[in-house]
Amino acid sequence: MKKIEAVIQPFKLDEVKEALMGIGVDGMTITEVRGHGRQKGHKEVYRGREYNVDLLPKIKLELVVSDARAEEVVKTLTGAARTGKIGDGKVFVYEVAEAIRIRNDDRGDSAL
Amino acid sequence: METPPCSDPERALAERTAAVDSLVECAAADLLWPACPAGIAVLAVGGYGRRQLFPYSDVDLLLLVESTRVAECVREPVSAFLRTLWDAGLRLSHSVRTPAECAELHEQNIELNISLLDQRFLAGDRGLYAAFAERLPRFLRAQHEPLIRNLARLARERHAKYQNSYLHLEPNIKETPGGLRDYQLLRWLAQLRDAEAPPLDGAFRFLARLRCFLHCRAGRDYNALTFEAQDEAAAEWQATGPAEWMRDYFRNAREVYRAAVRELESSEARASSLFVQFRDWRTRLSNADFTVSRERVYLRVPHSLDSDPELALRLFQFVARHGIRPFAETAARLADALPRLSDWFAEPQPVWPALREILSLPHAPLAVASMHETGVLRAIFPEMAGIDCRVVRDFYHRYTVDEHTLVALGVLANPCDQRYADLLSEIDDPAPLLCALLFHDVGKARGNGDHVAASLDLAMPALARIQMPPPEQELVRFLIASHLEMSAAMQARDLEDPATARDMAARVETVERLKALTLLTYADISAVNPTAMTPWRAEVLWRLYTATYHELTRELETARIPSAVSGFTAGFPVRYARTHTPAQIAAHLALDETRRQRGIAVEIERLPAAFRLTLVTDDRPFLFASVAGTLSSFGMNILKAEAFSNQQGTVLDTFTFADPHRTLELNPTEVDRLRATLERVVLGRQDVRQLLAHRPKPARVRVPASVSFDSQASASATLIEIVAQDRPGLLYDLASAISSQGCNIEVVLIDTEAHKAIDVFYVTAGGRKLSEDQIAALGQKLQHACGA
Repeated sequence: MKKIEAVIQPFKLDEVKEALMGIGVDGMTITEVRGHGRQKGHKEVYRGREYNVDLLPKIKLELVVSDARAEEVVKTLTGAARTGKIGDGKVFVYEVAEAIRIRNDDRGDSAL
Repeated sequence: METPPCSDPERALAERTAAVDSLVECAAADLLWPACPAGIAVLAVGGYGRRQLFPYSDVDLLLLVESTRVAECVREPVSAFLRTLWDAGLRLSHSVRTPAECAELHEQNIELNISLLDQRFLAGDRGLYAAFAERLPRFLRAQHEPLIRNLARLARERHAKYQNSYLHLEPNIKETPGGLRDYQLLRWLAQLRDAEAPPLDGAFRFLARLRCFLHCRAGRDYNALTFEAQDEAAAEWQATGPAEWMRDYFRNAREVYRAAVRELESSEARASSLFVQFRDWRTRLSNADFTVSRERVYLRVPHSLDSDPELALRLFQFVARHGIRPFAETAARLADALPRLSDWFAEPQPVWPALREILSLPHAPLAVASMHETGVLRAIFPEMAGIDCRVVRDFYHRYTVDEHTLVALGVLANPCDQRYADLLSEIDDPAPLLCALLFHDVGKARGNGDHVAASLDLAMPALARIQMPPPEQELVRFLIASHLEMSAAMQARDLEDPATARDMAARVETVERLKALTLLTYADISAVNPTAMTPWRAEVLWRLYTATYHELTRELETARIPSAVSGFTAGFPVRYARTHTPAQIAAHLALDETRRQRGIAVEIERLPAAFRLTLVTDDRPFLFASVAGTLSSFGMNILKAEAFSNQQGTVLDTFTFADPHRTLELNPTEVDRLRATLERVVLGRQDVRQLLAHRPKPARVRVPASVSFDSQASASATLIEIVAQDRPGLLYDLASAISSQGCNIEVVLIDTEAHKAIDVFYVTAGGRKLSEDQIAALGQKLQHACGA
C-alpha cells in the first residue's frame, strides 16, 4: 500500500476530487494548510498597513491506495492539479506498513 | 417489560411508572421487609419520582436509611432486592442515604439535591419517611440560593456545549437547548422559588411523545433525533415531510428554550448585587414611551400599540440603542398586536428610516433577534415567514435558515478578525448591508435550487414597500444577487491570476460595493457553523479582497467613460458613472452650464451629518489645493473628496466635509460667504495662503505616515497612495506639495476613517508619468507635509 500526500492549489480541489472519483478513488482526507515552496510569498501593503503573505493558502490531500493503483492515482492527481505555473504544488508517495479498519478489524487492502 | 404505545405519551409514562411501582413494591415485600421491617424506606426520585418514566429511561431509587449502622445491617437484603429488579429488566440507578445526608448541600454533585425535588414515597418505614419529608422543605428553603445558582451554572454549561442554540439539524431532544432537560429546569427553578412554572404543556407533550418514539424505535434510552429518525417521525406524525415536521419540533423547542433563558437570566440577575446597582442605574434610561426595570424594557402604555404602530419600531430602536430586551409581558402585548401591525405594515409605508436606524445602532443584532422572536419582523416582512425554522439538510449547515441569518448579523456587527473589523469601520452606512444580509437567504423557503433569484423576488418588493430609496435598493439588490460570488471565486479561481481580480472588479464595479460584499461573504460563511470560518478561509477571502481592491484603484485612472457619451462626462473615470445617480449627473450638467457662463459653478448642500461641496470649473494649477485650503480656513473638516477631469480640462470636484464648530449651521449667511470666497480663490482673485494664515497651527502628528508611488498601476499617470494621521489642512498641504512640484492632479479619491486620512492621487508631470527623480523629490515633500 502507498500513502499519497499532495499539496495543491485550493482552486484545483474540485477538479482533483472529480478526477480521482472518475477512476474510482473516493476516500481521502483534506486539510486546509498554509505554506510555501519555491513560490515564495511576499509582503503586501493595504492602506498603509503591511500584511505578511509569505505563507500561501494551500490544500493538503492524503489518500492511501493499493500498490497496484498508486502510479495511476498519482498520474490522475498531477494531471488534474497542473496549471503549469509556479505554485502548483507537490506530491509525495510513502510506503504504508498496515491499514486497519477500526469497525471490523479488516486489514491490508480490504481495509482501504 | 412490554413497552406501551408512543402516540399517547402521558398514558405511556404513567403506565410504565405504575408497572415499575408494582415491581419495586413486590420485590421489596419479598426481599427487604422480611429482613429489615423498620429503619428503611424506598423512594422514587428524578423522572421516576415525578411519574414520568420514558420507555427505556433509568429508574432512580433512593434507599432512605435511619442511620449508617442500619445501612451496614441491610447490605445483603438490599443487594438481593436490587438484583431482582435488574433481572426484571430495569436499568436502576440507586443511592443509599440517611435523612441527614439528604439535607446536606452537595456542591460537587448538585444533581443529588435536585433529584430530591421529585421524591415520592414507595414503600417501607413511614415514620422514617415522615421525618425526612418534614426536614426536606426546610433544607430547600434554606439552601435555595446555592441550589439555584448551581442549577443555573449547569444549564449554562450544557447550553454552551450546544452553542446556545436550539436550532441544531440533528438535536439531542433531551440535552440540546429547548429539550426536555430545559423543560425540567423550569419546573425545578419554579419549585425552588416557590413560584409557578411557565405553562408549556403543548411543548412538553410534543417532546414527550417524541422521546417515547425515539426510545421505542431504538429499543434503548436513545435521544438523538438523527436525519433517519426525523424521516420516520414525520411519517408517524403524518406530516408533509421531514423538513416541515422539524419546523414543528423547532417551534416547540424554541418555546421551551426561550422560557428557560428568561428564567436563567432572572436567576442570575437576582444573584448579583453589582448587577442590581447597574440595573438601577439603567432604569434612568426610561422615557415617555418606555420604562426600564430589571434590565428589561416595558411599554408604558401597552394599548397605544393599537393606535400607534410605529411604537413597535421605536421599541426596537430602544433595544438596538441600549441592548435591553423587551420584558416578556411586552413581548406578549406585541404578539396580541401582530394582526394589526401586519395590516399596517402591509401598506406601503416609509418604514426604512426607522429600520435603518435600528440597523445602524450598536445592538442591531439583538434588536433584530428580538423582532424575530416577537414576530414583529414577520409583520413588517411577511416574506421572512418561509425561513422561520427552515431546515436545509446538508453536511455544512448547523443552523436553520432564520438562525443562520441572525448568527450572520451578529458576526457582522462584531467581526472577530481584526482585518474585517477595520473594513467594517470603513463602511459609511452599514444599514443596507445588514438589510441585504437579512434577506440574502429568504429564497431558501422555496427549496428549488436557485435561492438567489428567489431571494431577490421576495426582497425587492418588500424594500419598495418600506420605501427604501432607489440607490440603497440597488445596493441591496446587488449584494443579494452576488452573495455567493466571492465564496465561489475563493473555491474555484486562482487568486494569483490577474484575471480573477479583474473579473471580480468588473462584477463589483466600485470599492464601496466590494467592501460591502466582502463583509457579507465573511458573515455568511462564518454563520454556516461555528467552525466554518477558519483562519485559512479568512485569509483566502482577504486575499481576494485586496487583489480586487488594487485592481479597482488601478482602473480608476485607466478606465474612462468613452467620448461617444455626452460631452461633459466623457473622459471622466468610469467610477463617476458607477457612483452617481442619473439625477446627480443631471445636476452636474446644470452646473456645467453655469460654468460656461461664469467660469465656475459652486454648490453647497446639507447632508444628514455633513455638507457637500460640488464645484465645476476649468482646470488650473493649485486648483484642488486652493479648494481644500479654503474649506480648512473656514474650520471645516474634510471627510471625503473626489476630483475628476475630462479631456477638455473641465474639472468636477466634490468634497464632503463636517462642520465641527457648527459655523454654517448657526450662521446661514456663512454658507454664502464660503461660496463667494471659493469663487474668488478659484478664479485667482484671492490668495488661499492669506486665508490660512489666521488658522491655528495643528497639533504634532503621532502616527508615522506612509507615502507610496506606483508607476505600473496606470498607463499614463503615477499613483500616489498616502496614509497619514488626519488633521485640519492636511489635504491642502498635500495637494499644494504636489502642485508646487509642477505636477498635475488627474484623479483624487480621499477618505478618512477614525483620525486617519487615506488619499489616492493620480498625477502627471508634463502629461507623462513621473520620473524617478521627480518621485524622489515629491516623496520628500509629501512626507514633510504629512508630518507638518
